[in-house]
Amino acid sequence: MASTPDITPQGATASVLSWLRRDLRAALCLGYLLALVIASVAAPLIAQHSPIEQSMDMLAPPSGAHWLGTDDLGRDVFARMVYGAPMSLYASMVAVGVGLALGLPTGMLAGYLGGRVDTVISRIIDTLLAFPGIILAVAVTGALGIGLTNAMIAVGIVFAPNIARLIRIQTIVVKNELYVDAARSFGMPVRGIILRHIVPNAIQPIIVQVTVMLAGALLAEASLSFLGLGVQPPWPSWGQMLARGYTYMEIAPEQMYAPGIAILLTALAYNGLGESLRTRLDPTSRSRR
Amino acid sequence: MNMQLVRFLGWRAVQVLPVLAMATLAIFGLIQLVPGDPAATIAGEYATAENIEAIRRDLGLDRPLWEQYGTWLWNALQGDLSNSLLTGLPVLDEVARRLPPTLFIAVFALLISICIGVPLGILAATRADSALDRFVTSVASLGVAVPNFWLGMIFVSIFALGFGWFPTTGARPISEDFWGAVHHAALPAATLATAGIAEIARQLRSSLIEVLQSQYVRTLRAKGLSPARILWKHGLRNAALTLLTVIGLVFNHTLGATVATEAVFAIPGAGSMIVNAAINKDFPVLQGAVFVLVLIVISMNLIIDLLYTVLDPRVKKD
Amino acid sequence: MSTRNVSVRFPVGRGRVLTAVDDVSIEIRRGETFGLIGESGSGKSTIGRAIVCLERPSEGTILHDGRDPHALRASELRRHRRQYQIIFQDPNAALDPRMTILKSIREPLDVAGEGSRADRDQRARDLMNRVGLGEGFADLYPHQLSGGQKQRACIARALTVRPSLIVCDEAVAALDVSIQADILNLLAELQQEFGLTYLFITHNIGVVEHISDTIAVMYLGQIIEIAPADRLAEHFLHPYTQALLSAEPVALPSGMRPDHRIVLEGELPSPMDPPSGCRFRTRCRFATGICAAEAPKLRELAPGHRTACHHAETFRLDPNLKEGSQ
Repeated sequence: MASTPDITPQGATASVLSWLRRDLRAALCLGYLLALVIASVAAPLIAQHSPIEQSMDMLAPPSGAHWLGTDDLGRDVFARMVYGAPMSLYASMVAVGVGLALGLPTGMLAGYLGGRVDTVISRIIDTLLAFPGIILAVAVTGALGIGLTNAMIAVGIVFAPNIARLIRIQTIVVKNELYVDAARSFGMPVRGIILRHIVPNAIQPIIVQVTVMLAGALLAEASLSFLGLGVQPPWPSWGQMLARGYTYMEIAPEQMYAPGIAILLTALAYNGLGESLRTRLDPTSRSRR
Repeated sequence: MNMQLVRFLGWRAVQVLPVLAMATLAIFGLIQLVPGDPAATIAGEYATAENIEAIRRDLGLDRPLWEQYGTWLWNALQGDLSNSLLTGLPVLDEVARRLPPTLFIAVFALLISICIGVPLGILAATRADSALDRFVTSVASLGVAVPNFWLGMIFVSIFALGFGWFPTTGARPISEDFWGAVHHAALPAATLATAGIAEIARQLRSSLIEVLQSQYVRTLRAKGLSPARILWKHGLRNAALTLLTVIGLVFNHTLGATVATEAVFAIPGAGSMIVNAAINKDFPVLQGAVFVLVLIVISMNLIIDLLYTVLDPRVKKD
Repeated sequence: MSTRNVSVRFPVGRGRVLTAVDDVSIEIRRGETFGLIGESGSGKSTIGRAIVCLERPSEGTILHDGRDPHALRASELRRHRRQYQIIFQDPNAALDPRMTILKSIREPLDVAGEGSRADRDQRARDLMNRVGLGEGFADLYPHQLSGGQKQRACIARALTVRPSLIVCDEAVAALDVSIQADILNLLAELQQEFGLTYLFITHNIGVVEHISDTIAVMYLGQIIEIAPADRLAEHFLHPYTQALLSAEPVALPSGMRPDHRIVLEGELPSPMDPPSGCRFRTRCRFATGICAAEAPKLRELAPGHRTACHHAETFRLDPNLKEGSQ
């Protein structure tokens, strides 16, 4: 009997490694994101300055002491960049987490139960998709109260209908599989069927969608913090740094570059990872290997 | 006019009603998301008990939920979106004043997106896997990953501060000074358009490639039809439907993105109005402005649906 | 086990309804093998699914030992239905691709919560051995097995809950001919050993005629002939049964074999819009006016042999017609 080894636990690690060796883009994206995580955890070790300590040395150009210069309150820009990284990661996770927590069960229930429940939930999904995303997020943030977590919960609420729509379709496909009928025939309760059969088999396209949404959440966090609805001073976030830098654009234009580039690269890394995952998980492209 | 078509259009319009009802419910429900006592939150930290009570009465928060919703909807349908808590002015007047600049840059951006995105998509699709295609594809993936408002800042620093070609900020009323308005809106619209260009080029490319590689088109090619003729007659007609869907999506995104763009260019539009209302907890303004924008998106979707039927006769029979 | 006037209908959009099973009453005795034959689209699978409660009858009742399972409360139904298992045509689709074979086979026991985890593992492994699937397959995934091996796994899984009846829905149709016989033999052995009742659903009369006690023939959602297996092959009374038998390539004793194949003309009519009267009349060589006007009822023409054909008697009396010599 031929056995393909990429299913056993050790095999999974090996297959991920060989995938990364084959797919340079995936390796780069994953490497960048990993570096970002490390920077977030080890921020105090990497940055020699405090991100919130002010000094009289304002809007200084980059130098040996301040690698990226200082901002309008004399705070070290590099330190603020490093300390902004965990904010961005946290923000993306909260938004996507809330989106999944709301969207997955709703879409799955609609898809599994069908009938009137499905009709009602689908209508609600369609309606929410008609809202311009950021505007809904701004409005919900206003209601929940300003702050990073609330803003990202709002973004998660905006994501939820997208996730629900995707998982609903997947659930409908999987629930008609014979192994689900078999499970029903030996008396498995609905909860067990959903957890043991439908979730593991329907989740794959969601994984790709999640990476794309992480990028969306990152950009939304930047926008909302830029607008003053996200991270509150004195704590730094890349979007909020852009807002401050923009005010002093004519005196110190270099202030706008670092945060913008950081946001761009991170969003690119998420999207690139999603694109690579899509190709890898697509059965038609996989069989070619 | 075809009777069947008329009936179909009527049916589509009726189908919008539940969406509209649900949207108003969601917008009305916003205030329910306020943690704790909404009246106390709105009144702020230093409010007296009387202040809070007054706000509760003004907003009708002391009445049952359904009654609140009914009153709000009934008034909204009659054009009364209540008054701003901050200024006391009618919300509808304020929205009417703020909406034109927002719509102007959004539509302007949509036009730019179509005018650049469509040719790029076609070029990339007809030369699939060429250097040009790879260039367009990478620019497109850059376009969806770049923070829009940051791009706006860079545009300002290059084209407004650097070359001085465009004014840095502000807007001109279209009715008074059309070319002035265009001049002021050019940079914000270009900023907004980048994401739209990327999206349109990407989607049009993949849908065109799918059509051009279909069995049907390969048969036409074998019959000796020129590639240009195939592209114009068959490829684009089939891709037009994709394009229409994408345009609807792009308009929705563009309208949303005005929120940040207006902040960058200091445009007194509906987006910045919503942001200020959110920061100040001015709920009537927040609800009213979101309501009007959602109405616009829903109407746009309806128009696209109708265009769909005109372009694709198959949809009619459904 | 019996069905009483069972109909199953499916909405197919825009208010239209597909009647997959129309007023079917059958009775399966304990320990027997009941063969159900029909073309695809005849509703034979739907009745099988209804019997194991995967479809709910739109009309009529399913009776399991005289009890209507749909009258039970949800939790009781879950416990009760374990006695009624089904084996599907496509063993590949019937196993969750993300579960090992052992996990799939053990799953019914996990659901039932019987015994300790080790006991359940052991019982699953015992059954794997019993169905001729060595324990070596326990930790493999479905895509690593052949079709026949997967079908053995499905059989083992169905047996874990000690069912009294198993519906075999085209259980061997998707397998290689050489493996079909192995699986059929296995099923026969298991029937002896576990005292099983089978409902054998197939489009291939050759598969069931040797192992069945009773055979029913289905056409467009209705039973058109039902008889003891040994009787049906020789004394069939319905033109459709004749056509099915004549289309069967497997060698029959020469006395039973029609001299000419009878090829059915035309397509199977749409079950959404079945013909009036006798449903087979549009493809029947003997159809007359009465066939269009009146739907024939099942009539008992010999002990245990019932047929729904207006012309069954003439058909029986004229051996020339039966030999298909025209």
